[in-house]
Amino acid sequence: MNQINPLQIGGLLVVVILFLFFKISGVQSEILEADKHFKKIEKLALDVSALKNVYADKKRIQKSLQKIFSNRKLQSANLKIENKNKKIKVSSESMDSIALNYLMGKILNDSYNITTLKIKQLSKEKASFEMEIKW
Amino acid sequence: MKFSSNKQRVFLNPFSDEIITIEKGKKIDIVLSPSMYWVKKISLPVKSVREVKKLLPSIFEESLPKGHYSYYAYKSEDEFIVFAYEDKKILEIIHGKGIVSSQISSIYFAQTEFDKIETVIGIDEINAIYLKDKLLLLAPCSWFNTMEKLSLDSLKLSKHKISLQQYGHIIDPKSLYKIGVLLSFFALILGSELFIAKSKLETIEAKKEEIFSKYKLQSSTLQNEAALKKYTKIYTTQIKLRKYLSFFLKLHLKKNQNIVLVDYKNRVLSVTVSNIKEGKEGSIVSMLKREKIEYKISFHSDTVKVEIKL
Repeated sequence: MNQINPLQIGGLLVVVILFLFFKISGVQSEILEADKHFKKIEKLALDVSALKNVYADKKRIQKSLQKIFSNRKLQSANLKIENKNKKIKVSSESMDSIALNYLMGKILNDSYNITTLKIKQLSKEKASFEMEIKW
Repeated sequence: MKFSSNKQRVFLNPFSDEIITIEKGKKIDIVLSPSMYWVKKISLPVKSVREVKKLLPSIFEESLPKGHYSYYAYKSEDEFIVFAYEDKKILEIIHGKGIVSSQISSIYFAQTEFDKIETVIGIDEINAIYLKDKLLLLAPCSWFNTMEKLSLDSLKLSKHKISLQQYGHIIDPKSLYKIGVLLSFFALILGSELFIAKSKLETIEAKKEEIFSKYKLQSSTLQNEAALKKYTKIYTTQIKLRKYLSFFLKLHLKKNQNIVLVDYKNRVLSVTVSNIKEGKEGSIVSMLKREKIEYKISFHSDTVKVEIKL
């Protein structure tokens, strides 16, 4: 006649309920924390991805620069282009103001990581040009 | 008759001071003396014992002293033999005899075990039991001339055993059942809630992993934060470079004044303007100040060099 005290069963159930409450509270805190972290990661991912697409997309940068450099307005400038793994160097010993205006207009109105730029006036209509863009 | 070797039989007589000793490892079958329960023989227009049990509290209502009773019934031919007993009082007597609950195997009423006796049986020096009209009664020994000595060894125990509610006096078993069901239900809801919460947590973690692979992020947050810092720096520098170049290109210079050199490297932009003597740089300086641009200015012959750190 081993009977279990009903108060013990009730107590056990109360302990189970308290334990569940404690666990739920813990998991909910974890959810809040994880959600906060997720939102932070999501923002970080979007920001990094957007900036990378602008400044580190080698294919996009090379393609758009190629399009600019192949314009007939720059033919007289005799552009010297050095393509390297992480950067591109462009220079011209002498270019007229139309070519310079066109080139600078295109470069400055798009997003490139210009690391060096040197424009030196040679005469009233001519200037030398050096530029390095990295990605 | 063969008895189980690990069982001991005891006739529980509350009027006896005898302490019952139980052999180690053995359990006991207890037969309750008639003084420990109330018994009635009744005829009712019902068929099953189950229906009778529902009526027992009202059947005994007027004949019992105030207390917390449990009931038992069985059918005997066309009649029902019904019992009322107080669990707590019986347990107190059992414990008073030195028996603990775990040592008890089964509990029987003397009524069910001695319902075929034909003689009077003395249960102690003062009291005896005898059958009258199918009911086992307790009477003083002095009423009888002859009587037999009580012996349980030859008794074939019936199937009518009871289980004492050790805690029935604390809380009504029905209420307890309801509370238990309620608490279990609540625990079940909480369990489900916990399951849902854990699933939600797993979903968030999975979404986090998805973000990492979708945007081709590096494995640690620190690395990604460093990447963001690097690209943000590039972004702000390039915005500034374009802003300052635009500033110089819009600069109102005199006819003989020209920008002769624009040089940008190591995040320093320097612009050299010709034909400006020291002290005549006022218009450039005031525009730089108006735009709140920090600058360094230097002169060489008739040229002025403005340096801005990006």
